[in-house]
Amino acid sequence: MAGARLSLELSVRLPLARFALEVDVRLEGASVAVMGRSGSGKTSLLEVLAGLRRGARGRVVVGGRVLLDSSARVDLAPEARRMGYVPQDALLFPHLTAEQNVRYGARLGRASRVDEAVALLELGPMLHRYPATLSGGEKQRVALARALATDPALLLLDEPLAALDVTLKERVLPYLLRVRDEARVPMLYVTHQLGEARVLAKEALLLEDGRVRAAGPASEVLGASARGLLASEAEGEENILEGVLERPSEGATRLRVTEGLSLWVPDAPELPSGTRAAYAVPAEDILLSMGPLSGVSARNVLAGNVVGVEGAGAGEAAATVEVEGVRWVVRLTEASVRELKVAPGVRVHLAVKTAACRRLR
Amino acid sequence: MTDDTTGLVLFTVKVAVVATLLILPPGVAAAYALARWRGPGRGFVDTVLALPLVLPPTAVGLVLLELLGRNGPLGRMLDAVGVEVVFTPGAVVLASAVMAFPLLVRSARSGFEEVDPRLVAVARTLGDSRARAFFRVTLPLAWRGVAVGALLAFSRALGEFGATVLVAGNIPGRTQTLSLAIFQHTQLGQDARALQLAGIAALLAFVAVYATEGLTRWRGRRVRA
Repeated sequence: MAGARLSLELSVRLPLARFALEVDVRLEGASVAVMGRSGSGKTSLLEVLAGLRRGARGRVVVGGRVLLDSSARVDLAPEARRMGYVPQDALLFPHLTAEQNVRYGARLGRASRVDEAVALLELGPMLHRYPATLSGGEKQRVALARALATDPALLLLDEPLAALDVTLKERVLPYLLRVRDEARVPMLYVTHQLGEARVLAKEALLLEDGRVRAAGPASEVLGASARGLLASEAEGEENILEGVLERPSEGATRLRVTEGLSLWVPDAPELPSGTRAAYAVPAEDILLSMGPLSGVSARNVLAGNVVGVEGAGAGEAAATVEVEGVRWVVRLTEASVRELKVAPGVRVHLAVKTAACRRLR
Repeated sequence: MTDDTTGLVLFTVKVAVVATLLILPPGVAAAYALARWRGPGRGFVDTVLALPLVLPPTAVGLVLLELLGRNGPLGRMLDAVGVEVVFTPGAVVLASAVMAFPLLVRSARSGFEEVDPRLVAVARTLGDSRARAFFRVTLPLAWRGVAVGALLAFSRALGEFGATVLVAGNIPGRTQTLSLAIFQHTQLGQDARALQLAGIAALLAFVAVYATEGLTRWRGRRVRA
């Protein structure tokens, strides 16, 4: 399940327009989310890793390989770094077909890499089309395959979903999960969406004005400090849950997320039991209750503990609730927080309507 | 067509083709450098390269003549190795090339400017050296601008007169092109012959310009498709 592990040693300094990017961090893990507000240096950091930013000083070691060491005058050219770079707007070569795009750097990888990437991202039907005829989501899939086909040491994903609308986003996200789980390439994933970061990454790096605010396990980093920092951009936050589908009886489908956590979702008879799936539940569609809930129409009632509450601006607040090891974000008003005395450590119940669970495909 | 006319047309076309091929490598290099260079001196180089477009062609011809004549700095060097340029077919090619150069550079440069430099960055991460990325991404994407520039340069070379007449003279059978012949026959009062040649020149120009237009439309279709 887990892909190859990443070991990343970063100690770089790069002057930017408003501040200097100063990152000194070691990261381990299969997938790391790089978060921060727009303009906090996330993209610059990826470009430093890819070798696309001249003028970076310091040391970059990926998987034991030194890419940059300015004290030893080592600064590998981008073509020698083996970084699978996927920019925000895909940047496919417009004069080449999807297939030619995927094959572009394939001489760097094993021969079978192209076929694997095409299969993984289901590009078969669009191989002979030109980028101009592809949808935004299809372009992103081609760009992912193009990077994977080079057999990179690390995938650098720069907000691969940011340019897509909600529907397309949901179509591409499952492919990213497949890449993470099946392609066995570690990834560094830039995003400013907490939901995306939570579902994709096990580790996280939080940047603020070019400096590391926090780094470590995603569950810690993406808690309170992240929300405060990203508040203005956390609109429309969603909980994204992955698991295996089960159909215990006719007309009922449930998503098994962990041993102790299952979620009733809209019936999907077309999907056989055992299918892996991901669902999104908007943070504002979850009801939070202090006492045990009974006699409510929502089929999913989950007991958990509050681990954090933060103001989200405009009289709104977000509570993080841990249920069977899974963290949920629930939107409520600040008035409710006061009246119900929602605070860390408090036992609460969450009610989630089946209809609020939307499958990502 | 008489043998005379055929020879004249062939020579004119040959001069234009050779002149265009000659300026293609330096023209493309200059266009690319101008499109990418953001530092100081850009405006100056730009202006110098555009001069042949706006100077009287005879002034350009005069400069070439002074440079390449027996007593000119370049002419003396060439003379030392036994090469004579002035009043030879080579001079016709050179005059046409110099006059056509800015047209090639201008069009090719706008072609290069349309290429998103980030595409090149992506190509680099996919294993391309700078040079390889140029030939696999930049040039194919700027290709229309380069091709249109080459055709414009070719068309310009076909009709070059002012610079040519100064540096190459107007020697029938040696340095005379269509436009020079038209001038000569008009001077001699042979208007019918001059008109006939003008008609041929118009036909050549039509073909070249039509090809340019066609190229513009064809590339436009494919990239948008």
